[in-house]
Amino acid sequence: MKVTLTDQEEITVVEVTGDIDSKTAPEFERNAKLATEKNEKIAIDLTAVEFMSSAGLRVLLMVYRNIKSQNGKVILVGVSEEIQDVMSTTGFINFFKIVETTAEAIVILKQD
Amino acid sequence: MESKSFPGVVDSLDELRAYVGELSQKAGLAKKATYSLKLAIDEIATNIILYGYEKVGLVADFKVLSEITDQELIVILEDEAAAFDPLAREIPDEEDLTMALEDREIGGLGIFLTIKGVDDFSYEYVDGKNRNTFVMNVIKP
Repeated sequence: MKVTLTDQEEITVVEVTGDIDSKTAPEFERNAKLATEKNEKIAIDLTAVEFMSSAGLRVLLMVYRNIKSQNGKVILVGVSEEIQDVMSTTGFINFFKIVETTAEAIVILKQD
Repeated sequence: MESKSFPGVVDSLDELRAYVGELSQKAGLAKKATYSLKLAIDEIATNIILYGYEKVGLVADFKVLSEITDQELIVILEDEAAAFDPLAREIPDEEDLTMALEDREIGGLGIFLTIKGVDDFSYEYVDGKNRNTFVMNVIKP
């Protein structure tokens, strides 16, 4: 798994490539935390993530709390059908906006 | 029963999921069922590795036993850690899962996804070993 952070003006895009499991989640968490410290508007691009376990859900929970506490906004991008199913079963889906592309996410984040 | 051993470290998870993918393909499981099984096995294996092995400094392998029948794919994780029944802990219920994320407890999601994701999940402790059994129904066209 690889994580890349890119700043686009007041927005930080967190791009993840590879599987998120209990081995790789700490690296995802470290980068996601860094992103929430830099900006209160972030997009997490999961287009290249095929698998995400509950270790990844825990990171999303942390991101959600950090962002919420600073009145920011987080958007998830390119979430696979299987991962959306898992987010739905666990009730996570209602708390995240999910879009298809990073460009879409940036347009929405800039509006607020 | 087919058997394969993996070192009890998180580095094994990738290979474990790939192996479960192969078994699912052989059994003819659909894409979604395959993902659910991979997730369930990853979650339970994670608990075994992090809490059964690494936390107490136990260096050992764990085994994946499997059997494919006309109706089912059966996968068993067998480990040498201290007896631990994943079903004995508190599992989040519907109320927990509709709670706002800011008020959520973090634990129990893994076992919840395991139970939800497979057709049958059971645990037993036999001959000094934990056996976590996952069953997926195979729907023949």
